[in-house]
Amino acid sequence: MALWVPVALVSDPTLSSLLVLGLLAGILALDDTALAQTWFGQPLPAAVLTGYLCGDPLTGLAVGLPLQLVLAGNLPIGQTFTGDSTSATIAAVAGAILGGRHLPPVLVGNSEGTWQLLGWVILGAGLLSLLGHLLIQGERRANGIWMLEGLRSLRDGRLGRIERLHIRCLLTTFLRGFSSGILFILLMIRVWMPLFPHLPPTLQTALGTLPLLLPGLGVGTMIERYGLKSSWPWVAAGMICTFLVAHYVV
Amino acid sequence: MKTMTRGLQWSLFLRSLTMQGSWNHQRMQNLGLLWTVLSWLRRTRRDVNRDRIICRRYYGFFNTNPYLANFLFGGLIRLENDQEAGLEVPPGVIGTFRDSVGRALASLGDQLFWLGLRPTLIMAICLFGLMGQIFTVLVVIGIFTVGQLLLRWVALRKGYDLGMDIVDLLFDPRWHTWIGRMKRAGMVLTGMVAGLYLAQVAEFGVTSDRNLLWIGTVLGMGLPLILRKRLPGELLIVAALFLALVLTFAI
Repeated sequence: MALWVPVALVSDPTLSSLLVLGLLAGILALDDTALAQTWFGQPLPAAVLTGYLCGDPLTGLAVGLPLQLVLAGNLPIGQTFTGDSTSATIAAVAGAILGGRHLPPVLVGNSEGTWQLLGWVILGAGLLSLLGHLLIQGERRANGIWMLEGLRSLRDGRLGRIERLHIRCLLTTFLRGFSSGILFILLMIRVWMPLFPHLPPTLQTALGTLPLLLPGLGVGTMIERYGLKSSWPWVAAGMICTFLVAHYVV
Repeated sequence: MKTMTRGLQWSLFLRSLTMQGSWNHQRMQNLGLLWTVLSWLRRTRRDVNRDRIICRRYYGFFNTNPYLANFLFGGLIRLENDQEAGLEVPPGVIGTFRDSVGRALASLGDQLFWLGLRPTLIMAICLFGLMGQIFTVLVVIGIFTVGQLLLRWVALRKGYDLGMDIVDLLFDPRWHTWIGRMKRAGMVLTGMVAGLYLAQVAEFGVTSDRNLLWIGTVLGMGLPLILRKRLPGELLIVAALFLALVLTFAI
């Protein structure tokens, strides 16, 4: 594993660390749609950034990679569902690390003992993203109301109102990301992670399988997106070559 | 033709980055479009009636692709400048230009960015992630960021220089060549991710139940193809948990 581990900026769930992570969540929430759209808010980069910030990028990778693969089909066209995968990912990674857990990626070294907890963290991220969807829809409805307020400038020609309304929308997005990021982290640390030991053994076993299913689901989703008929020769070529190189050469 | 000053280009560029900041269900990016155009309007001769007309012109429904929008913004500013300078711009042309080019760029952007580049880049970072190259994930996204910002900057100038002739640029067949290449690259990378993951499953120590690993992996890949429904990833996680529960009972 090629790693560059900086000194952790946040290492325990204090107020200052929550503020730093909330700031990250706010900036990445802006980046997701409202500002520049650099894709640093995608689950894997967001998880890795959070991991670096908390001093454990490997846990960021372990959580972010299956999430990224399974959410790869969430494209902003032809669907009304948005989800808030950015805040959810940050909360999942930060919740695990600040809760004192280290989660190596699946199928690496002696990671098997942590698969169940990893599955639980990923499930938490998915549910938080669903919850975040409601907040994003609320924000967009508010944008609609403010946009209608701007109709007054069409009558009186006051340009300052338009500028204030747009900046208000941007600030709302930042505040939504900031506050949902902090709220989700607290939910992860105080509620979701402590629940894990109390789960029935069958569910815990199933959770251990969850991180193994997600990469396959992600790949299947992408093949379905591209269309099986047109994509299979390219997918098969990439798959066979990489499998042979990884299995027999490397 | 009046040239676009560097100051105006910077202002338009920075404002255009936030064009989706006030996205709403009713008129989508209309407020963002007007907010961008205001940086030009503020630099011109001011008149309340004229301000009202321009606000009215840009406040209707508007939707385009954010990465390609600057071609349109440049073209719009060029048309506005031409009109200001007394050159003949037929009535209603600016609105028609905004709507038709906006729609064309939205369609092109869907194919090029959302269905072409984004899945490709996501699969690329997942591949690096599977290889354990954590920092490379951020480097790849960083390279994309610089590239798309450069595209937006260049597009603004190009759009301004071309004006109405942007339409010719949209007909350039190279766009579709690139879309095809992007999609094929994405398909190959998807295969590479699958291949590397399967190799890791094959390599993994025998402490776990190998059958469970293989069945889980194959079922995972097959489920979206069998369902043929584009479920959001979050719901796929929940579906995967049910599948995992079934597997736990079955094996």
